[in-house]
Amino acid sequence: MLSFSGVVKRYAQPEGEVTVLGGVDLSIAAGEAVALLGESGSGKSTLLHLAAGLDAPDAGRITVGGQTLAALDDRALAALRRGTVSLVFQQFHLIGTLSVADNIRFQAALCGRLDAAFEAELIDRLSLRTQLDKYPHQLSGGQQQRVAIARALLHRPALVLADEPTGNLDERSSGAVMALFRDLVKAAGSALLMVTHSRDMADYLDRRLWLRDGRLHDDVS
Amino acid sequence: MTSAEPERLGGVVRALLSHYWRHPWQAVFLLAGLVAGVALWSAVQIINSHARASYAEADFVLGAQATHWIRSRSGDGIAQADYIALRRAGFRQVFPVVQARVSTADNAPLAIIATDLLALPASMAGEGGDALGDANLDWLAFVQPPYQAWFPAAMADELGVAEGEQLVLRDGRALPPALIAAREQQGRQIFMDVGAALSLLGRDTFTALAVGPISPDTAARLAAALPADLMLEANQQRLDLTQLTASLHTQLTAMSLLSFAVGLFIVFNAVRFSLWYRRPTLRTLRLMGVSVRALTLAIVAETLVWSALGSVLGLLAGLGISHALLPSVSASLQNLYGAVVGADLLLDPLTVAIAWGMTLIGLAFALAWPLLLQLRGPVLPGGSASAGVLADARARRVLLIGAGVLALAAVGVYWQMASVIEGFVLLGLVLFAAAWALPQVLASAHRLLGRVLAGAPLVQRWIVSDGWAQLPALRTAMMALLLALTANLGVETLVGSFRTALAGWLDQRIGADIYVNSARLDTRGFVADPANAGWLATGHARTGVTIRWQGRPTKVYGLDTTTPDTRALPLAQSAPDALARWAGGERLILANEQAHYLGGLRLGQTVTLLTDGGPADYTVAGFFHDYGNPYYQFYLPREALARGWRDVSSTGLALWLKPGVSAETAEAALVAAGVKPGEWFAQGDIKRLSMKIFDRTFAMTAAMNTLTLLVAGAALLTALLAILHERLPEFAQWRALGVTRRELLRVIAVPLALFVTLTWLAAIPLGALLSWLLIYDLNVMSFGWSMPMLWSPLPALKLGLLSAGIVALVLLIVLSQLTRKLPQAMAQLGSTQ
Repeated sequence: MLSFSGVVKRYAQPEGEVTVLGGVDLSIAAGEAVALLGESGSGKSTLLHLAAGLDAPDAGRITVGGQTLAALDDRALAALRRGTVSLVFQQFHLIGTLSVADNIRFQAALCGRLDAAFEAELIDRLSLRTQLDKYPHQLSGGQQQRVAIARALLHRPALVLADEPTGNLDERSSGAVMALFRDLVKAAGSALLMVTHSRDMADYLDRRLWLRDGRLHDDVS
Repeated sequence: MTSAEPERLGGVVRALLSHYWRHPWQAVFLLAGLVAGVALWSAVQIINSHARASYAEADFVLGAQATHWIRSRSGDGIAQADYIALRRAGFRQVFPVVQARVSTADNAPLAIIATDLLALPASMAGEGGDALGDANLDWLAFVQPPYQAWFPAAMADELGVAEGEQLVLRDGRALPPALIAAREQQGRQIFMDVGAALSLLGRDTFTALAVGPISPDTAARLAAALPADLMLEANQQRLDLTQLTASLHTQLTAMSLLSFAVGLFIVFNAVRFSLWYRRPTLRTLRLMGVSVRALTLAIVAETLVWSALGSVLGLLAGLGISHALLPSVSASLQNLYGAVVGADLLLDPLTVAIAWGMTLIGLAFALAWPLLLQLRGPVLPGGSASAGVLADARARRVLLIGAGVLALAAVGVYWQMASVIEGFVLLGLVLFAAAWALPQVLASAHRLLGRVLAGAPLVQRWIVSDGWAQLPALRTAMMALLLALTANLGVETLVGSFRTALAGWLDQRIGADIYVNSARLDTRGFVADPANAGWLATGHARTGVTIRWQGRPTKVYGLDTTTPDTRALPLAQSAPDALARWAGGERLILANEQAHYLGGLRLGQTVTLLTDGGPADYTVAGFFHDYGNPYYQFYLPREALARGWRDVSSTGLALWLKPGVSAETAEAALVAAGVKPGEWFAQGDIKRLSMKIFDRTFAMTAAMNTLTLLVAGAALLTALLAILHERLPEFAQWRALGVTRRELLRVIAVPLALFVTLTWLAAIPLGALLSWLLIYDLNVMSFGWSMPMLWSPLPALKLGLLSAGIVALVLLIVLSQLTRKLPQAMAQLGSTQ
């Protein structure tokens, strides 16, 4: 579903160029859930952005669902993110002017892939049934994150990219949301690449990778 | 304050100002608002104070401020020998004046004024008693053949006359070589030495002799010393330009204050956004132990810096704008009042001080509430995101209540209104009441639209619903836009109505085919001459005297009651059968509207005029339109005028040609009767000239309107860039969800277009109300002219297109910013903000 081949990413800094990813190779199969661990500044988020086509590598090749990202123009990249890839961030970025129900349906509406049965399942499993008519500013942080998860999964994307999705939640809520998130990703049939610095959160997923010195390592701890 | 405190305060100010290094655009917009407001206001102030200085200099105008005139009873002019005799008899305050109207080869009318500069009394010779006004000019060249003809620069431009060139007149005569120079009060007249004028015009008599300041005893001696054919009359034309022009200057000041207010909206936006963005800095400083007092002082210090910078730059820009606008204002002043302002503009210290004071007050006004909210709040961010939504709704409610209070005050002022200044206070109240109510109107309309679209596809609803996120930032810009659009529409309707009324009035009043103004012509004899019967349908000789009524120079004309234009004289107000009874000699008089609205004269009231036989009473039978005239004026039947005043002068002859007769036939007859080319004008020329003067008079209004609209456009741009800055992470997130760039632009553009459209729609009735007040109240109080209001959808459509153009331009700038900044924002997605 997602593959990186010799991907290099460098950033210009005042003290000189810094190589964040120095030839990364990665392959995630359909339906597989992978945690990406690493220290702050190790390049985890950069890798995630490259996977979503939000940024471009300096060298190497990235494919998503068989499409080489470098070959896609802006419109095609938008179409890819609309239908194939979903992103979940620590900040929920819900649309404040739309109700919870509309926020959940938003991305599915964009790509024209609404599924009422799956929508009902997501709403119930994420305990959002009583919140549907509310607006984001009327929800707690945990509730907002659950809305963001429902929005990311309703159209059953082939790949979910998540960046510290429970980073804004307390430890107890984090565990519950994480378990639910993993189960729902599986239910949607999506692959998942999740960036986290928490080994506990990583334990919920099928495989763990460690990004260190610009290269990926299998987690051997 | 301990010794460490100033240093600490300096650190706080530096920390706060560092924000502008990182966000230079905000500094630019803050300054742009201040500069725009100050510049337009100060430009008008500079022009106003300059005009006032020019009016003071008008005391030195050639003859206009003479205390007396010596004229010939027969209208033959004054012989040079009589003038020389008076000077030799010791009357050194007497000087000669020659005035004439000629026309160019292109038929453009020209006025010539001439005097003997060396004979001018010292008190009337200009500043420092220098008769030539400028020591650098060669006075010998002025008084010796081939002489010089002084052309004001603007006039030389219009006529295409270069320095040294000799302008050729219609009859082939050539003026002396041109010198592009003007005495301060020369006006739109060509000035030359009296010898040059006599030689050019082929005359040997002066038009009149003017008399400088003299005592009553000297006046009595002078009257006694005059030959039988000459008479001494007090100069009824002395005018107080300051008083006459007060209304126009008040109008200009009001427009400049409106521009200042629109500029303040930009400042308000910029200050609000700069405080909003600096929330984390303010919070951090408070957490580090900086007191609210120290923070307030630091922001006050910052405000002083901005206001000083804004004032200096604004005043400099104002000086530039005033130079650009001066020709239009000069044209207005000259066309309306005959007042001439010079070309050298200076900034006076009072304008500088007021500009800084206004800027400070404006900034304080813009800062007070947001600063209070920032500093009175908790140190740590608390509450929910709903606080922002609630705060916006609360702000709209507060503004709506304020609008209600202003509207009530406006109603109160309307019933009490008695002066032009009160009229402008009323306009200010109406405009601001509408502006303050606008955010609630926009919110309500937006809510309604949301309900209408409840069943629409989600993406469409999302695009429209984003208006709620944009409204708080756009609120102020929309208020500024409403003010600018309303002012534009109001003034456009006023000018359009006035133009139509003037054109209609000219059609009715300038009904004759040819107008003759020549001292040489025996008007009665010419009309009665059987030799002219073949082409002349009828002729109307007009006579007149200048008297003083209510302290103002006032013209009383004697009209031929049998001519077509008199029989169909359009009256704004009249008693039943007014014209027939007036013509029937019932001691009735017609007065211009100025005498009614400014002089307080009522229909049926008795007006007492000082005739040669003492005070005489006349009953007012009607009021006639008299556009463009700053003076009071009365019409009497010609015979009634002759009964009251012995020395009436001929003020012209109107000729109606028989059908099919060419103007050349009439012109040949006039020449044969001794009239020189340039002393008659065809109907079409007068109308064209009048409309040209009208358009030039209102050029200033159009310029101010355009500038105000540009300032509003800048407010819009500020607001949109602020939205972009604030919401860039959100937009990046949307892009990450698969939203295309086009959809994103639609999200920004559609609510904006919706708000601009609603604002434009709101401006249409408001503009009509403004023009109604301007036409039926302000204009009448200012100038004494009434006219019907003519509303046309064209100005509104034109402004709608212009607004759309401004929005498109602003969106283009925003799109370029978005294209530049979005990739970086997308790359930073997920990082803690």
